[in-house]
Amino acid sequence: MNKTAPDSFSASRHRHGRRRGAAWIALCAVFGGLASAPLAAAPVLRVRIAFLGPLESDSHAGASQGIAEANAQGKFLGLEYRLVEAKDMLAALAAEGTAIVVEAEAATLPALAAAAQGTPLLNVSAEDDSLRGLCIPNLLHTIPSHAMREDALKQWRQQHAASKAQAQAWDGNAELYAGTQLNKRYSDKVGRAMNDRAWAAWAAVKLVADTVARLHSADPTALLNALRHSLAFDGQKGVEMSFRDNGQLRQPLLLIEDGKIVGEAPVRGVAKNGDLDSLGATSCIK
Amino acid sequence: MRQPVLTALFLTLLCLTLDCVAASGRVFVTNEKSDSVSVIDIKTNQVVKTIPIGKRPRGVGLAPDGSAVYVAVSGENHIAVIDPHTLELKGSFASGDDPEAFAVHQNGNIYISNENDAKASVFDPHTGKLVAEIEVGIEPEGVAISPDGTRAIVTSESTNMLHIIAIPEHTVVNSILVGARPRSATFSADGKTAYATSEIGGEVKKVDVASGTILGKMALSDDQAKPKDIVVSRDGKRLYVAGGRANRVFVLDANTLDVITSVAVGKRVWGLAQSRDGGRLYTTDGVDNQVSVIDTKSNSVVTKIPVGEAPWGIAIDD
Repeated sequence: MNKTAPDSFSASRHRHGRRRGAAWIALCAVFGGLASAPLAAAPVLRVRIAFLGPLESDSHAGASQGIAEANAQGKFLGLEYRLVEAKDMLAALAAEGTAIVVEAEAATLPALAAAAQGTPLLNVSAEDDSLRGLCIPNLLHTIPSHAMREDALKQWRQQHAASKAQAQAWDGNAELYAGTQLNKRYSDKVGRAMNDRAWAAWAAVKLVADTVARLHSADPTALLNALRHSLAFDGQKGVEMSFRDNGQLRQPLLLIEDGKIVGEAPVRGVAKNGDLDSLGATSCIK
Repeated sequence: MRQPVLTALFLTLLCLTLDCVAASGRVFVTNEKSDSVSVIDIKTNQVVKTIPIGKRPRGVGLAPDGSAVYVAVSGENHIAVIDPHTLELKGSFASGDDPEAFAVHQNGNIYISNENDAKASVFDPHTGKLVAEIEVGIEPEGVAISPDGTRAIVTSESTNMLHIIAIPEHTVVNSILVGARPRSATFSADGKTAYATSEIGGEVKKVDVASGTILGKMALSDDQAKPKDIVVSRDGKRLYVAGGRANRVFVLDANTLDVITSVAVGKRVWGLAQSRDGGRLYTTDGVDNQVSVIDTKSNSVVTKIPVGEAPWGIAIDD
């Protein structure tokens, strides 16, 4: 993989920008400058995000939803996002994307991360704790780990001993923090409820796009640095989210019992100050 | 005692020239969960009437001539019109899907965010007709109109932007990235500066409207703070920010954005409205089902007024 700014990428970007610029000049001439040119006049920065995983999956649907929302923002900023579906890692690398979203077995991820070195690889499905413990620099996890779910339940049971609740990253009935709106956008498009993997993939694409927009750059290295050190992501769960040093996205979990959302972890009154790091491991295995 | 008399006289004269209706001296509060509007008498600080209005009322605003109170009835996709004097419901008009916050332009038109449609709509409340639709980012929320009426700001919560909209062209002339989940924005008196709150980012940003440059930002140190409404004091020197879960109103220096003090109010303070003379600030305390009245000289709560369930929007007709 080409680890410096890929030439073909920037060349195609410039070509596109000029073509578009010319079209706009023509359009503006026709409408006597009435059209709102400033938005489209600047060259469009095209951003590719690779998706590696099954296409008929929740994670693919979530990533696609993320792209739609990224473009809803990008159109105001001269940014255009595309999801490049890759059948294997070679194809994902060949896409020369700014990031790779992956649904794969945990055991394969360290090798994939090594192959993609320097480019953020966002795991949206594997929940293994050992994977977090490895602290691979470019491997980030938006799906919660097993330990996060266990800790969420432990906290909950301190207040509700007999509870049979499950801890989830997301739920199709989430309403708070504009959960209603996100669920509606997703289910209107996909035809089913958003679940954990769909949320994790949506979040992966959206936090990449948010960061690309703030950097106004699609450079993978700059992106990885910003994701690790200055992320303040609104995952529509009511708090700012960032990545731990071990690559795990800090996030609240929902507690679901009999199909209903009964609570949220960190559990108020149990976890100190709603500390997101009370869920799961924060450190690396030496 | 002399100043209020002069002010009243001035306002009366102004109203005569503008052909407007004398103020009713009331505060209007939407109660999101009890589907009603509480009407408070400013002199007595008592609720004088509770008007059933329809499902999930949120945004509330006054016609520039004082002839009507508009209420966004979110659950019924319309704007209800109340006579501020008789307190009768005068009618309603369709507003597009899930109307939330809005602002009333000096020319009488209503600028409203349609949260589920990623757009803002402009309505003429006299005809009920849609004047314009403007595409904005995802989950548009706060709306503000510049004092000279040539610009509007719409915040889009899920795309973290302030959209600057030219009036009357109704085109987006700039979109400015701010902190996560921008909820509310307002203009300085000269219209050159905008201030915006970001709920998840927990911050206030100061923006140059013409260039879109961020002039300053202040993270509210209380990490419970989920700032929502923001108001500039009448003298332009202070910002008042409803702190949400922090259960307080933050008072900021409008120039430096430094937090000068904060005033403890009820739980989940969302809405803010300022009296015409700037002496009083009214808050909606969403979980405590009350309105707090703050004296802005002493920055202390004068009284708390019980209203309906989950008070959201607030407008003063003074």
